[in-house]
Amino acid sequence: MEYLGTIVMIAVSTALINNFVLHYFVGICPFIGVSRRVDMAFGMGCAVTFVMTVAAALSWAFTFFLLQPGAPVTAWVWHAINPGAAETVDLSVLNYIVYIFVIASSVQLVEMYVRKFFPKLYRSFGVFLPLITTNCAILFACLEIMKHISGVTEGVHAWGLDKALIFALFGGLGFTLAIVIMAGIREELDYCDVPVSLKGPGITLIIAGILALAFMGFAGVDAGLRKGLSPKPEAVSQVVKETAWPRG
Amino acid sequence: MATWITVGLAGAILLLLAVAMAYVLGWANQALAVQVDAKVIAVESALPGANCGACGYVGCREYAQAVPKGESITKCTVGGMGCVADLAKIMGVEVEQTWPYRPVVHCGATSDQRLQKTEYLGEPTCASANLVAGVQGCTYGCLGLSDCVVVCDYDAIHIIDGLAVVDYGKCTGCAACAKACPRNIISMVPFKSERIFAVKCSNQDFGKEVKAVCEVGCIGCKGCAKTCDLFEMAGNLPKINYEAYDPDQVDFGPVLEKCPMNSLVWVGKPSEKDLAAVKDQEVPDEIKADFKTSVDDAEWRG
Repeated sequence: MEYLGTIVMIAVSTALINNFVLHYFVGICPFIGVSRRVDMAFGMGCAVTFVMTVAAALSWAFTFFLLQPGAPVTAWVWHAINPGAAETVDLSVLNYIVYIFVIASSVQLVEMYVRKFFPKLYRSFGVFLPLITTNCAILFACLEIMKHISGVTEGVHAWGLDKALIFALFGGLGFTLAIVIMAGIREELDYCDVPVSLKGPGITLIIAGILALAFMGFAGVDAGLRKGLSPKPEAVSQVVKETAWPRG
Repeated sequence: MATWITVGLAGAILLLLAVAMAYVLGWANQALAVQVDAKVIAVESALPGANCGACGYVGCREYAQAVPKGESITKCTVGGMGCVADLAKIMGVEVEQTWPYRPVVHCGATSDQRLQKTEYLGEPTCASANLVAGVQGCTYGCLGLSDCVVVCDYDAIHIIDGLAVVDYGKCTGCAACAKACPRNIISMVPFKSERIFAVKCSNQDFGKEVKAVCEVGCIGCKGCAKTCDLFEMAGNLPKINYEAYDPDQVDFGPVLEKCPMNSLVWVGKPSEKDLAAVKDQEVPDEIKADFKTSVDDAEWRG
C-alpha cells in the first residue's frame, strides 16, 4: 500500500502539479510549434510520451549500472584494474553526453522499427520522432531521474526502474494534456478577434502563461492525496519521508 | 594514476557505446529496410511536389504510391498535361485526354450591388461572418472577407470590389479556395478552352427574394435552359453541363441575350476581341486586393 501510494504520488505530481511544460517550462518548442490542431497535438504528445519512456528506461540503466558514483559495473572494472584502491570511481561527468547519445540512437532505431512494421503509425507520428530526439523535455526527464539515483546519499531511497518509468510515462501524459488543451484553445482562437499586436506567438505565450497559472491550482492536491492514501496516522511520517519530492 | 584510469574508463565507455550503437543501427538499417517500388520513386520525382492535395491525396508522396496500384494518372491538376505525359511514360500507358480544372466563383455581385447589408464588426473572415445571420441579404453569395485569398499559395485569387476574382494566369487549380469557401460558391470546372462559360450566381431563392437582396442575381427565369440544351435548372439556378460542353461549337449569343440579369459570363483568359476592345484603356499591371468591407469603417474591434 505504501509502495502504491508512492507510485500514485509520483504519477499525480509529474502529470499535474509539476507539469513539465506548465511548471518547469521545458519542451516549450513543440508546445508552441505543434499546437495548432488538436489531432496533430495529440500525435506529438503520444510521440513525446513514447520517446520519454524509452529514454527514461535507457538512461536509468546507464546511470544505475555505469555512471553513478560507485556504479556496480564500473566499480568492478575499476577494482580489476586498480586493486585495493580506497576511493570509488565516479563517471557522472559523462551523464549529458551519454543521454543525448543514447536517446538519439534509440529514437533512430525505433523510427526504423515503426516504419517497417507499423507503416500506418509511422505516417501518423513518424515525422515527429526525429523532432523530439533532442527535445529538452526528454533530457529533463533523464536528468531528473539521474538526480534521484546519483544525487541520493542513502542507497535505499534511490529510484528503481519502476519509479523512473512511472515518472517518464506520466511526465509524457502531462505534456500531452497540456499540448492538447493548448491546441483546443488555439483552434477556437481562429474565431476570435485578437488585437494585431498580439497575433501569432504573442497571444500563444499569454495563453500558455494563463494555463500555467491555472495549473498552479493543483499545488495543494499532493498534501490531500497523501493524507487520503495513508490509512493509519502513525504511517504518515514514513510515507512523507519516502515521497520526498521536489516542490518547485 | 587514478585520474588516468578514470579518463580511460570514460573514454572506453563512450567508445564501446559508439561501436555498439553504430553496429546496431547499421544492422537495423539493413534488416529493417523498407522496399520502395522504383516506380513510386520515379512517379514522385515526376510530380510537381506542391503537396496541394488537389488529387484527393494528402500529398504528392501518397499520390505517387497510389499511381502504380492503378490510380488514374490524370489527377494532378498542378502538373497539367506535361506531368500526365511523364507519368504515362513511367507507367507505360496511353495518355488520356484531360482538361485542367480551374475554380469558378459563382457570384457576380460587387459589394455595392449586394443589398440589405448590415455592419459586421466580428472577426474579418468569411468563416466567422458566415456563422452570423444578416451580414448581407444574400445568404448564398460571396462575403468578400478573403478566406480564399489567404489559403491561395499562388497569389491567384483576390478580392476586387468585395468579390473574389480568380487570376487564371497564376492559378494552378489546386482547389484550396474551393475548400476554404464557407459558402461553397467556388467550384472546380474543366476548362475545355481558355475561356469558358459560367453561371455567376449561387442564389437558389425565387426571383422576388433574389431581387430584394441583389441587383445582379439569377432570378431563375429558365430563359437559358429553354434556349440551349447545355443548361439544366436545379434549385432555381441554371447549371452548365460541362461534360457535354464543346469549346468549339457552342455559340452562346442567344443565351446571353436572353438572360435578363447578366448572370451568365465568360471567365478565364480574355479573347483577342476583348483585348482589342480595351486596348485604349489604361489597365494597371497589378490590381491590389481591396479588403474594404463594412468592417473597416470601425476603428477598434475588441
